[in-house]
Amino acid sequence: MLSFLTRAILAVTVLLPVAAVAQDLPSPEGEVILTVSGAIANTNNGDTATFDLAMLEAMETVTVETTTIWTEGEQTFTGVPLGALMEAVGAESAMLNATAINDYSVEIPAEDWVEGGAIVAYMNNGEAMSVRDKGPLWVVYPFDDDAKYQTEVTYSRSIWQLDRIVVAE
Amino acid sequence: MAVTGTTEQLGRPWRRRGATVFALACCIGMIAFMAWVLLREIEEVSTANSDNLQWSLAQADVEFLRFELAMQRAQDDPTRVDQVRRRFDIFYSRMDTIENGIVFRALRRDPTYDEPRAIVRAFLQDAIPLIDGDDETLIAALPDLSERAQAVSDEVRRFSLAGLAAFAEVSDARREDLVRTLILLAIVLGALLGGLVLVALAMFRLSQIAIRRSDEVRRTSARMRTIVETSQDAIIVANTRGLILEFNPAAQEIFEIPREEALGERLAELVLPERSRSKARDTYFRFMNDGSRDGTGALQFEVTAKTRGGREFPAEVAVNHAEDASGRQVHVVYMRDISRRRAAENNLTEARDRALAGERAKAEFLAVMSHEMRTPLNGLLGSMQLMRDQDVSDRQQELLSRMEFSGRLLLSLVNDVLDLAKYEAGRIDIVRKPYSVPRLLDGVIETTAPLASKNGNVLEWRWEGTPAEGAVGDPRRLRQVLLNLVGNAVKFTRSGTVEIEAEVVGTADPQLEFRVIDSGVGIASEDLDRIFRDFETLDSSYARQAGGTGLGLGIARRFAKLMGGEIGVESEPGEGSLFWLRLPFEPADLSEPEQTGTKAEPAPSIRPLDILLVEDNEINRLVAREILEADGHSVTEAVNGRAGVEWANARRFDAILMDVSMPVMDGPEAARTIRSGTGPSAATPIIAVTAHALPEEIAEFRKAGMPHCVSKPLDRNVLQQTLAEVAGAAPPVAEPVAAVAPEAKDDPLLDAENLARFASGKSTGLLDRSVAEINWDIDRIAEATLAPADLQQVVHKCAGTCGVFGFTALRSALAAVETDLKRETAVEPETLAALAVLWEETREALQDWRAAQP
Repeated sequence: MLSFLTRAILAVTVLLPVAAVAQDLPSPEGEVILTVSGAIANTNNGDTATFDLAMLEAMETVTVETTTIWTEGEQTFTGVPLGALMEAVGAESAMLNATAINDYSVEIPAEDWVEGGAIVAYMNNGEAMSVRDKGPLWVVYPFDDDAKYQTEVTYSRSIWQLDRIVVAE
Repeated sequence: MAVTGTTEQLGRPWRRRGATVFALACCIGMIAFMAWVLLREIEEVSTANSDNLQWSLAQADVEFLRFELAMQRAQDDPTRVDQVRRRFDIFYSRMDTIENGIVFRALRRDPTYDEPRAIVRAFLQDAIPLIDGDDETLIAALPDLSERAQAVSDEVRRFSLAGLAAFAEVSDARREDLVRTLILLAIVLGALLGGLVLVALAMFRLSQIAIRRSDEVRRTSARMRTIVETSQDAIIVANTRGLILEFNPAAQEIFEIPREEALGERLAELVLPERSRSKARDTYFRFMNDGSRDGTGALQFEVTAKTRGGREFPAEVAVNHAEDASGRQVHVVYMRDISRRRAAENNLTEARDRALAGERAKAEFLAVMSHEMRTPLNGLLGSMQLMRDQDVSDRQQELLSRMEFSGRLLLSLVNDVLDLAKYEAGRIDIVRKPYSVPRLLDGVIETTAPLASKNGNVLEWRWEGTPAEGAVGDPRRLRQVLLNLVGNAVKFTRSGTVEIEAEVVGTADPQLEFRVIDSGVGIASEDLDRIFRDFETLDSSYARQAGGTGLGLGIARRFAKLMGGEIGVESEPGEGSLFWLRLPFEPADLSEPEQTGTKAEPAPSIRPLDILLVEDNEINRLVAREILEADGHSVTEAVNGRAGVEWANARRFDAILMDVSMPVMDGPEAARTIRSGTGPSAATPIIAVTAHALPEEIAEFRKAGMPHCVSKPLDRNVLQQTLAEVAGAAPPVAEPVAAVAPEAKDDPLLDAENLARFASGKSTGLLDRSVAEINWDIDRIAEATLAPADLQQVVHKCAGTCGVFGFTALRSALAAVETDLKRETAVEPETLAALAVLWEETREALQDWRAAQP
């Protein structure tokens, strides 16, 4: 049953980009803060998709309230669901590789891109995040809502100072 | 063996169960505790509170070095100043993470970590204005900043190393914790395993026991089944409503009903005949209906049962209450056909009854024969007495004496045999009535005095200890026993003393003891046992000389036993003997007044009268004549009413004594005739003489002209009183009616005073004749075949005769019968038969009385 569900989710995530092929990604006007490359269908800069803050803000927005093991007190994160972002770029794979400004790198599988899963946050407590504050982008999970995200694997996937994503070929 | 095991197993389950419950509780508690510990552990392990912190700390070092590198490069190439900013920000962010992360917070208390951290933080804070400033300023400040960073780089290393050490410790502690938990878990698991093994062992044992028990139960039930099926008795199991649950082969055979048809039927309806069912249900089968149990034990009774074929038979039933396997009450009914046993019992009973009846018939025959022999013997003796009054020669006198001696011996022999036979026939009843001990002893002395004086013996009696006046018992039998003892004593003593001692012994269970002590020949000790046996005489020649059958002491022993007492003897040959008689003593109050009334008052003497005596009974005439002539009156006799009337018409009398019931013409009729006539005696007072009269009859006598009435037997004083009154010399006496009321119960058998009048030598013949007459009459009465009228006549006549001789009890009884007959009340045959018994007793008393006469 569970495996069936997983398979169904995988199928949906795999099929979604096909529907998104027709979409055209706008080009960034401000400073590019995220570059997605690899097996993606939609691009706006050669074979990569680049995003400025405005583009991300224009996309589907979710807010996650949770504590983290790196911060003190309850935090409010606002950002784009990772799934929505992958949809926007027409990701054609079930695995992505995220890399940070500090060159930290981690693989995030498609099972984390689901609803109620990881988001790409661009605001913490209502303010844009500087690099000093783990900005400008931070992959955050709703740790408090689901105990399954309170694992070291998830913590390792919760990458901050994110600036590059490569969807696995 | 098996029984002991069972009791032990029965005795222990509570302890065992307690231990089991305790062990179980321990197990559950242990499991719960372990579960809690493990859950806590799992909770702790399942949610990580850090990512790879070693990496974070190492990264801090790396990122700081990169920041330094960026600064040096920017000094060479100022276009790369942005890289300095980027590296600064990255390190700053790392520092922030290390300062704020949950896992690092605990480290802040550690100075080896916190001191270098504070230095690094201060450096960063100082650098911020430069980093955030414009490029020229930053580039200008780079050499200086680089130098400062150089100084701080050791601090970065220091706190990252301190953090690593601390985390290694934390990690060790965590591991130790986990190991502890796992060891605990292992212990608990071991304990549980041990417990499980124990439980398994216990279960195994229990199952062994259960198997053994079930084997036992199977064997027992097989045995029970064999018993039930081979039993000769019908065994029926019924439930509390009386429905049959089990019906064994014997039952099927006895009741001729197959088991399948019997099951579920009502027990009572199946095995009992219809007529006794409802009774059975109410009585011994009641437990079937309401489940009540009479007592806890088995119920046993006998019933008449029936087979299906309708044969009825007596059955012995035993009912036990039990519980079946499911704990319900059942009745187990055992029934046995006892018709054969019953028949055997009946045969036995019949045989015994026949044998007893034969014995009794023999004894009765003996009694009757003895009884029948006494009458002619008495006649012979009486005649011999009369003959002595005749003119006989000396030789004849001597022959008469011998004949008389022989006759008396024969009589006493017959009397003894009669007593014995009556005893054996069970015809002797012991009465219980109050009597006076001194008077009884006086009587015994008086009776035996003549023989005592003949043998030159001094005879007396006295009280030993406190005298007791009255006692309750059978004075006649007591008298007989004492007469025998004293008689023996005076017979076997010559010129000695015979003493009777009376004493009340004991207080709790007082006994009246009589001791007859003589100074006679005594009895050898070897003979002491023999003397109370029947037909034992110690010395036949002497016995012949003394007279006796050898039955006397045997009879005395029987009577003593009958009276609830015992008799015995102590003796020394040549010294004398002591016979003792011990009876239960019950004191009696004899303080009731002696017969008072007419006897007490001396009658006034009156002038001699000329009296007409109208009386059909010769004996009564004789008695009345004697009394009247003794007072100096002249008497003219008439034998019936008509003769009386003729005499009254012929001459004048001063008084007429008129019997009431007479043949030819009765008293009242004669009186009326005399009164209504004009003869010389028409005004003569007429005194009615009646054995007993009803009040209404006395009124009738008065109407007939007989205002006075005296009752029979004639009492001298009453007669004198009445005559004095008639002659006008005395006030009228009390109504004689009081004397009429018959009180048979308390009347003595004999009135010795009355009897004494006929005891003189010349009257013995009359007594003997009267006894024979009464004998004849009583026989006819007791046969109960006479017509009422005839019966009344016979009863009346017989009562009259009895009255004359003072056979008071019999007379009263006869009078009572007569009253009933007069009132036309039916007289029971038993009442008439009782008269015969009473007469028997009277005769015995008479016998005693005669024996007591000198």
